[in-house]
Amino acid sequence: MQLTPKQSIASALALASCSLLSQSASAADAIPANDDWKVDAAIMYYGEQDRVQATEAIGNVQKAFGDTSLLDMKIVVDSLTGASASGAVAQAESQTFTRPSGDGQYTVGAGETPLDDTFHDTRVQLSANWQEVLNQDWTGNVGVYGSSEFDYLSMGINAGLERSFNKNNTTLSLSGAFTNDVVDPVGGRPVAMSQMVLPGDYASDADYQAAFDQTRLAGDDTKQTTDIMFGVTQIINRNWLMQANYGLSSVSGYMTDPYKILSEVDSNGQTQAYRYENRPDSRLKQSVFLLTKGALDSGVVDFSYRYSTDDWDIQSHTLETHYRYYFSPSMYGQLHLRYYQQQAAEFYQPFLMSGDAIPEYASADYRIGDMTAYTIGLKFGQRLSGGHELSYRLEYYQQNPENNGTEIPGQLQNYDLFPAVKAIIAQVSYSF
Amino acid sequence: MTKAFYQPFAKAAVALVIASSLVGCSSLGVQPWEKDQLARADMAFNSEKLDLALDDHIYFSKEGTSGGRSLAGGGCGCN
Amino acid sequence: MSLQPRPWGFLGSFTAMASPCELLMAVDDEPIARQMLQLAFDEAKRIEGKFSRFIKGNLVWQLNHAQGKPTPIDAETHHLFEFAQQCFQLSEAAFDISACPLMALWRFDGSHRVPLQTDIDTALLNVGFTHIALTDTTVTMPAGMSVDFGGIGKEYAVDRTAQMLAQRWPTSSVLVNFGGDIACPISKDEGWQVGIENPQQLDSAAALLTIRQGALATSGHTRRYIEVAGKRYGHIINPKNGYPVEQAPLSVTVLAPNCVMAGMLATMSMLKGADAEAFLQQQGVDFKVFR
Repeated sequence: MQLTPKQSIASALALASCSLLSQSASAADAIPANDDWKVDAAIMYYGEQDRVQATEAIGNVQKAFGDTSLLDMKIVVDSLTGASASGAVAQAESQTFTRPSGDGQYTVGAGETPLDDTFHDTRVQLSANWQEVLNQDWTGNVGVYGSSEFDYLSMGINAGLERSFNKNNTTLSLSGAFTNDVVDPVGGRPVAMSQMVLPGDYASDADYQAAFDQTRLAGDDTKQTTDIMFGVTQIINRNWLMQANYGLSSVSGYMTDPYKILSEVDSNGQTQAYRYENRPDSRLKQSVFLLTKGALDSGVVDFSYRYSTDDWDIQSHTLETHYRYYFSPSMYGQLHLRYYQQQAAEFYQPFLMSGDAIPEYASADYRIGDMTAYTIGLKFGQRLSGGHELSYRLEYYQQNPENNGTEIPGQLQNYDLFPAVKAIIAQVSYSF
Repeated sequence: MTKAFYQPFAKAAVALVIASSLVGCSSLGVQPWEKDQLARADMAFNSEKLDLALDDHIYFSKEGTSGGRSLAGGGCGCN
Repeated sequence: MSLQPRPWGFLGSFTAMASPCELLMAVDDEPIARQMLQLAFDEAKRIEGKFSRFIKGNLVWQLNHAQGKPTPIDAETHHLFEFAQQCFQLSEAAFDISACPLMALWRFDGSHRVPLQTDIDTALLNVGFTHIALTDTTVTMPAGMSVDFGGIGKEYAVDRTAQMLAQRWPTSSVLVNFGGDIACPISKDEGWQVGIENPQQLDSAAALLTIRQGALATSGHTRRYIEVAGKRYGHIINPKNGYPVEQAPLSVTVLAPNCVMAGMLATMSMLKGADAEAFLQQQGVDFKVFR
């Protein structure tokens, strides 16, 4: 542009500035479209020392429809391998067990905790949830769920309503779910408390098969779960929120673990037989959950406590906290700590005594015994361009089963009947 | 931490906490324009929902208790 | 970032580009006001992040540390350079974005010191927009020269934000105010009442304007100055001699169709020193000058 007389500077500027702005409108980065789709994906590895290993992949997709509706869909695929404790106790000699299918056995060395490595399973789960803002105060949601694996099928529906008060500072929610599960174990369900048969004890294969079939029930069985939860969410101040939930759950049907057994031992701790476990066919659980979450200058922190009790006499306390710290606006580190303490089910016993009458219900599954467990984990997350986020976490989970007060007879005193279970959890997630 | 100590008291204490928080709720809270911090994505209750779902599945499979934070997300043959 | 309701709508405020920024929105819907505020905040931060000379590693920093080598630039930067070039010519070399080294000398940090003449002379060697070679995709400056978009950046951010808000919400009237540089893209019937600060009595309005549509920019050194021996040196430096402009008004406010133009006219008039009013009168724009 040529130098112009002073009077035209304003008009020249007007032209120049308009030109700058109109060209920049297309030249600068485009305004990101109001993207209605939100995708979260994660892949996780869980590995216990010498025991179970699992890989799980989750994909979650959320789509908003207008301002009032939200569709949430999730797919999970997980795969399990490795061995888990069968419930039998270690012995001075090696032990042989019949596999759940009846075909084949496995042997456990002297002094080793018996682990059953029959589990190789892949599971697929699909769920969908629809949330609708009904009006200024009310929000509702409905959902369906399905999970399928080789020996287990689960289908369920859930629904909930939320009502907010106090300029959305307080929200009350009521939700319910009903699930129907079909259990079809490998080899059929074992007859409760029946004795495990071993091929070596029988003259012919046919005799053994007949005996094995006697310990099995034909067909599958079902389990129904009805859940209700009542919750309160309250904004405390500009930085703090809290949530309190009370949940009631009623389960009826087949709840025995068809793959778990108990060792029947004499007063010297010598195993006489193995029996298949049995659990009651109804369970009523209650839980109370409290959570508080706070926004900090350069992070977020939360604390939660859960108390759970049921009519199997299992009571537990869970304390958990997450502390996130932002190293920069796009990078954070997060510490996760969890403490869990559980009191055994009333029918839990680490083994059976051969002199005693056989109880109606018994299980040596350490997962329903006395136990404390700790988790410590670290997570790092990075915010990438376009609102994407990549995160990775590594956690250590240790379960310490404990004796529920049972006297340990004879040779069993030489073995750790309650070995700790140590696991590593590693996960990578990506969302966009 | 014995059975006898917890059973009746825990339930009553927690019920009281919930009730009092409902009663006192009119004095707690913020104005709509003060929700800037709470509107942060990392302050949502389900801000790390995949982590929470994976954790829930692990603890459901390895422990005798499940749920609490939300309705148990569904069954599987793990426990 | 905060959002407060007002009888006429919502007031959003945040800090960016070292200034208090406000967004006045004549809307009823809080979520929309929140979205508008977020958009304004993001754009202000984006422009600050890209064009601020104080952020290490960003585009302007790369330009200023290129040591004489060509630096690739995007279309937006190219247009800004073109505009700066036009302003350089229209102002007869009085407005020069390469006058950075001079500004670094005159540090308005409250220390009230006047730099040495020898330092000023050395700095002048590295000033001069004519030495900048601009192509569609690159900028080449001599080593030692640096540019500062401070004289255009804020007004550009105001206009960009106003434009984006107007495009997305064409029926809602908003007023964008980044540290005194204001734009009002969609007409408001009763107009927005804007007070112009009295430089002698900071934080109180000396004049009240009603804006329906358009832009307003204030150039002035009422808040940033050095005072030595009773003489106040403002922060508008004359790139021809390296000294703050003599007899510059305390503050100049100009109204124009857009903020960039208003800001440039205000800056140019300040550079005229004693002739500020005469210049603006000649240009036929509405203005207010404080001395």
